[in-house]
Amino acid sequence: MERKAVRNLRLCTKDCLCLYVCPTGASDTEDSVIDVDRCIGCGQCADACPSGAISLVPVKYPRQQEKDEDVVSSLMDLAASRARQEAIAEAVGESGDREGLRRLALAIARSSRISAEDLVREAGFMLPQSDGAIDLLRSLVENPPVSFPVESARRLVSLLERRR
Amino acid sequence: MKYICSICGYVYDEEAEGVPFDSLPDDWTCPGCGAEKAMFDPQEESGTGLAGSFERHVSGVATMTKLTPAILSIVFSNLARGSGKQYQGEEERLYGEISSYFSSICDGEEADLGMLQTLVAEDLAQRFPAALESAQERGDRGALRARLWAEKVSRIVSSLLSRYGREGEAMLEGRQVWVCSVCGFIHIGDDAPGMCPVCKVPGWKFDSVS
Repeated sequence: MERKAVRNLRLCTKDCLCLYVCPTGASDTEDSVIDVDRCIGCGQCADACPSGAISLVPVKYPRQQEKDEDVVSSLMDLAASRARQEAIAEAVGESGDREGLRRLALAIARSSRISAEDLVREAGFMLPQSDGAIDLLRSLVENPPVSFPVESARRLVSLLERRR
Repeated sequence: MKYICSICGYVYDEEAEGVPFDSLPDDWTCPGCGAEKAMFDPQEESGTGLAGSFERHVSGVATMTKLTPAILSIVFSNLARGSGKQYQGEEERLYGEISSYFSSICDGEEADLGMLQTLVAEDLAQRFPAALESAQERGDRGALRARLWAEKVSRIVSSLLSRYGREGEAMLEGRQVWVCSVCGFIHIGDDAPGMCPVCKVPGWKFDSVS
């Protein structure tokens, strides 16, 4: 299975042993993100790292677990409700002159989005390069709503296809 | 008698505290997560009464059959996040652009705090129990996990809104509002909590709202 190294910047303590062992220089970058185009997935860096900051992830991921229709629809009901809550909270945050309420409302808006994202993840949209996500993008490219960014979606499909 | 916080699991033991739970002041909040008193349940009763609430509510829940712009905005911002986690910068940007497009075509909502509270209350009374029933029936532990986190987060939202209704701006004056970037839990305080009481990530995963 083809793999690539990734670095967790929160754990990295800049001991730089990955730089010493990397045969292609992929781990030595100005933004500390391992260069995936150079990485050959040998795993030397992960073995050498004393802080456990580097792990190897597959280039191609397995399919998401099958989801039952009833589970999907009940999670989607919740996500739809949370999405409405986000929009209302945003409107509350943008209106009025009460500073505390403004911050509380924006926190609720952000919280609603995070929660709703988690729910749709479990409803079948976990992996960006999954069949479901690519099919959804394709259907939007074929029947785009008004002023939909078709070219961006097309480019995205071609990027995702490589990792499907 | 013991009372347990429905969000973080903090146990208030009347015997150990020496103060009956009912005698605690109305503005008392959970030492674990800041939830108001109303979020506590007597420990003896935990696990009962749920089945009955399914029977009552499940039939009343509308089933969503189509992907609305609001849902699509969520689906795509989530996929952008998933791309970011895999260090796929261009995918993240493109998914983000599509998510923003769907946000921009959503129906606007009124700045209506009452409606917000109503929706949260409806979720807690109907949609969360319905999702629990379907996920339990299928043994879908991933769905059970996401549903539980979201339910706890909705409880803290409900709790904070009702506290704001009582205490007004004083509740937030000179305090920061923090949001867990993983589950959406909201914490009011000078600093982020050491650990998220809902999803257990470390405090640095919280962002403050400015």
